[in-house]
Amino acid sequence: MNAAFWIISAITLVGAVLAVTLRNLVHCVLSLILFFLGLAAHYFLLRADFIAAVQILIYVGAVAVLILFTIMLTRNVTGTEGPREVLGGKWWAGAFIAAVLAVLLCWAVRGDKIAAALSAGDKAKSSVVEIGKILIADWIVPFEAMAVLLTAALIGAVVIALEEIRRRP
Amino acid sequence: MSIPLGHYLILSGILFAIGLCGALTRKNAIIVLIAIEVMFNAGILNLIAFWHYKQFAVLTAQMFAIFAISIAAAESAVGLALVIAIYRHYRSVDVEEMKSLKG
Repeated sequence: MNAAFWIISAITLVGAVLAVTLRNLVHCVLSLILFFLGLAAHYFLLRADFIAAVQILIYVGAVAVLILFTIMLTRNVTGTEGPREVLGGKWWAGAFIAAVLAVLLCWAVRGDKIAAALSAGDKAKSSVVEIGKILIADWIVPFEAMAVLLTAALIGAVVIALEEIRRRP
Repeated sequence: MSIPLGHYLILSGILFAIGLCGALTRKNAIIVLIAIEVMFNAGILNLIAFWHYKQFAVLTAQMFAIFAISIAAAESAVGLALVIAIYRHYRSVDVEEMKSLKG
């Protein structure tokens, strides 16, 4: 259990770092898939198996493929350019802000008494049957709202990605 | 000896910082979207870790995770459509060249 946590954490961190640092966009997406799979393994370890399956289905199956299609539809992705073309103008400011955030978060978690008092739960169980029942009983309104949101997002994405209509005669 | 909750929180915080670093430093709009996905997933990991350690019989945290994943999927679809539209307009996905609104 302990070793599994450290190994999966290392895989997840490596995937995340590579996903935001590599030059080639396709390699970035492949690292992102590694990161998603690492997180799914974490969810399995935390006994949230339905969330792990959803993570693999939606992120690896849909989002990563969507990003790959976008890379195909846009050009100049090969990543043979130098660091000046990859990093933005004030990149050191962004890196500094991210480092400060990481230090602050670690410092806050280390000093937190409530989180330290909680122990791992063997009672934490979840079954797909229970999730389905609660989803259409207590959470039916958010569920329907989510259906409307997904439909709107689908139509909106198609409309935005359509060719611009030329108004000139 | 099992893993304490703080380990998961620190892992999630580091992942969030990595995503923020990518979103703030890279020039390619697609990489910025990838970094935003990394930050989203760091937040969802927090939800699941707290659900596991509170030993809750109720599945509220898992419901939140499911809805967050759905919203992230919708967000990435619209965001990538915007990237395609911007590419068609500017012939580039460089976020530093998108400055039509700059005063």
